[in-house]
Amino acid sequence: MTNAPTNAASAEVTAIDSGARRPLLLLLGAALVWLVVSGVLALITSIQMHSPGFQADCPVLTHGRAAALRETAFIYGWAANAGLAIALWVLARLGGAPLRALNWAVIGTIFWNLGVAVGLVGIATGDMTSFAFFQLPRYVQPLLVVAYGAIAVSGVLAWSGRRTDQTYASQWYAVAALFLFPWLSSAAQVVLLWAPVRGTLQALASGWFTQGVWACWLAPLALAGAYYVVPKVSGRVLPSYDFAPLSFWTLIFVGAWTGGRHLVGGPVPAWIATMAVVSCSLLLFHYLIVGLNLRVACGAEGTGIKFIRYGLAAYVLGGVLDGITSFRGIALRTQFTLISDAQEQMAIYGGVSMMFFGAIYYMVPRLTGRPWASALFTVGHRVLVTSGVTVLLISLFVGGWIQSGELLDSKIPLADILGHLRIWFLLGSAANLVILGANILFLVNFCQSACVCSPIQASTENLFRQPTALEAPVS
Amino acid sequence: MKNGPVFFLGLFAAVTISWAGIVLASHAQLGGLVPYFDDTEGKSFPERPAGIAARGQLVYADLGCASCHTQQVRRPGFGSDQARGWGDRQSVARDYIHQARPQLGGSRLGPDLTNLAGRKPSAPDAEDLLKLLYVGTPVHPRYQFLFETRPIVGEASAQALRLIGNLAPAAGFEVAPSERAQTLVAYLRSLNNTYEYPEARPAPAPIAAKGEAVAHGTPAASHQETKQEGKK
Repeated sequence: MTNAPTNAASAEVTAIDSGARRPLLLLLGAALVWLVVSGVLALITSIQMHSPGFQADCPVLTHGRAAALRETAFIYGWAANAGLAIALWVLARLGGAPLRALNWAVIGTIFWNLGVAVGLVGIATGDMTSFAFFQLPRYVQPLLVVAYGAIAVSGVLAWSGRRTDQTYASQWYAVAALFLFPWLSSAAQVVLLWAPVRGTLQALASGWFTQGVWACWLAPLALAGAYYVVPKVSGRVLPSYDFAPLSFWTLIFVGAWTGGRHLVGGPVPAWIATMAVVSCSLLLFHYLIVGLNLRVACGAEGTGIKFIRYGLAAYVLGGVLDGITSFRGIALRTQFTLISDAQEQMAIYGGVSMMFFGAIYYMVPRLTGRPWASALFTVGHRVLVTSGVTVLLISLFVGGWIQSGELLDSKIPLADILGHLRIWFLLGSAANLVILGANILFLVNFCQSACVCSPIQASTENLFRQPTALEAPVS
Repeated sequence: MKNGPVFFLGLFAAVTISWAGIVLASHAQLGGLVPYFDDTEGKSFPERPAGIAARGQLVYADLGCASCHTQQVRRPGFGSDQARGWGDRQSVARDYIHQARPQLGGSRLGPDLTNLAGRKPSAPDAEDLLKLLYVGTPVHPRYQFLFETRPIVGEASAQALRLIGNLAPAAGFEVAPSERAQTLVAYLRSLNNTYEYPEARPAPAPIAAKGEAVAHGTPAASHQETKQEGKK
């Protein structure tokens, strides 16, 4: 069962895949290394929640710095590399031609990861910017935009040089993500780092960037993979596909307007929070359509699709929760509590990362031309990471609920609240340990699968056709 | 979506419109905020932070204190901020105009620090804060790397921490705060935004609203006044 999609792999490798093998595997390898790094940091930060003394004497790992390091390694290390690999591959396959300008992509990958590494050292030594999702010091930020552009060139060429006039949802999402991140980042850099706006306007610009990164970059990258893999594996036409363009434009246009949802009652104009409420509600349409389109994932089998199913559930549920908690009466409770953390983890781990995992499990055998090295590790990773993330989310949500109730009662001192949350913090640490173990399994499995030199390359020239069962149209 | 240029234009428009809407529009509204001059006190609020406090804010930011402490008080009645003694009025944009990088924060694992130096009945003094940083509590980590244990040369330093029990350094040694610790503490002791700006006065309660509206003008009118004052 686990090998269902991988058995067909060797017969399914095309010249499109084999040509892009090394650059894309490089991106994925870098992504997985960062995933493990951020897992170690996540474990450290979660241990600090119940044992504040842990590593506190180490200036590099104060809770604030460790949390910023974890977040940065996760977003700019894992999600960026993995998402780019998926986006490029999807664009190449749907464009019907091998990727061009791949040497640019390789150079870009190297510089991107160097930039992230230097940035992490900068954060650890005190140069963090203290803006959420934007912690990298300003001296690496321009480098990252240029490196990103170099990687994205391949994808944009694949889009503009596509062989068919017709386009698919996964292409829209992939192109949008490739194109929009440099804009988001440079606009945010100008108003936050190079010519900072005054006072609380920084909080607004930072909120705009955070939500923009989510709605115009991370979510589209994940959906690009999901919209490609789900119809391929299920072999079915996506239901309600006519609504997909509207859903796409809703996400892109409305997404960043939710930037004020963490500033309810804060020192900013009230209309900012109102706009966030309206936008979060409008986005429900997007989540509804994604859920309707991709519901065929429920009937399909295979490792990749199991991850995507989990990811979709978390994505849609997370969107609904965002909508609910943006209302003032509810934000009053959930603001500043672990529930915000829980929602963030639900979005970037439960939603985006799970969809990435699914796409990677589908993609790697087709790049290497052989099944995953270890079926045991594949199953192990899936069981451990899904249960780990589930437990982590439960611990954060339940802990956050308790915290939110007690914060409202001014008679309970903050120290006591932390004491009451201890059991949930411990559970969160256990969950992070399990997730870390699972991702190490994944990394080992990936290295074993990718490092074996495959003889497929010579014989792929005449294998352009794919098995008909897997060639179901995406639309 | 078949038309490439239009597609790209659409994407570009999406980002530009949201950026203009959130960043530029609020900049137009708040970017010109100036300090509020109080005739009776004869000075402007908020006051500029002392140089040492401004440097302390950089330490606060680079250690990531904002990951557990907020610096934004919500209005009385909206949450327990007032009841916990964090502030009697809501934080307003004007409070932050002198701050290079406001540390609003997003998590309240620890207390809000907006008005730390104005806590009632008594605000923590420098020694309390230094001890908290050196010794920690069961819920607050200790940051001993901000301190230096050094041999006493000549007379003991006046800044050395007075520690007792097993925390006390060996005989002939003292624990002195580093410059970073001192600036951080100076910053924490400067946090006091208690001046009541016109825009920070709570809206009158709904029942009393009618009577007070006649006496003091409606909340909307008082906002207008604030704006005009700001422009002056």
